[in-house]
Amino acid sequence: MDRDTELGLVERLRQGDTDAFDAAYEAFSPRLFTFLLRLSRRRDVAEDLLEETWLRFVKHARRLRPDTRLGPWLFTVARHLHVSFNRSRVLEDSAAESLMGLWPFAVERASPFESVAANELERRIERALAAMPLASREVLLLVGVAGLDHSDAADVLGVTPEALRQRLHRARAVLSRALDRDGTAPAPSAGGITPCPSR
Amino acid sequence: MSEPLIALLSELPAARLDPARAARIRTRCRARLARLAPDAPASSAKTVHLWQPAITVLGVAYLIAAFVQAFSVSSKF
Repeated sequence: MDRDTELGLVERLRQGDTDAFDAAYEAFSPRLFTFLLRLSRRRDVAEDLLEETWLRFVKHARRLRPDTRLGPWLFTVARHLHVSFNRSRVLEDSAAESLMGLWPFAVERASPFESVAANELERRIERALAAMPLASREVLLLVGVAGLDHSDAADVLGVTPEALRQRLHRARAVLSRALDRDGTAPAPSAGGITPCPSR
Repeated sequence: MSEPLIALLSELPAARLDPARAARIRTRCRARLARLAPDAPASSAKTVHLWQPAITVLGVAYLIAAFVQAFSVSSKF
């Protein structure tokens, strides 16, 4: 969507135009849902967060600034909702991983995308993304998958562009290492159980 | 590493939302937007229109009363 179209859409949304809402929904909903699903790794959660994102959007539609950029606005709300969800469930990735480490076996859960990935490379990327720490995953999802430019992604994450570049660099390194590992080691079957490495 | 990796990510398939759920979200949001849309500015403008003449009338009445009072006091001397 070019900037002029977006500005026109924002103006119509400020007037409560429901057709403008439809246009925004068509333009951003698939990317938002993809982002939320890869972030949460749960379809039911992603659907609920997507609905809440759009409800917040229409609630604020009349108060949008005329120069609002819809993409960053929507992704920021979606991300905040996911952070709140994680806090409420006390299911931050790090906490979950450390808890799982207490058990003698770790469960490899397939991401929602993994089972439908068209080829082996896609499956490996999905597996690596799903296993990444949340902070790394979200920056890769925003820049790589959702296609936000660096400055918009920095706005969504609430960091400076320089901090975003560093975070992106680290995330790419993590993903690259995971892909290398996955490419050389035999891939665990989706949903299978693998023993924890001995300490 | 780097850009080829980002290019790979950009080619990953998009998720597809259940059509029934998508339609429900759209309907709910449209209804809410339509409900929020009606004439909030118009009603505040109407309030301004009502209060402005009332304040003017009260102000004029106060000034007239003040002049009448002043004349009545000055005519005694």
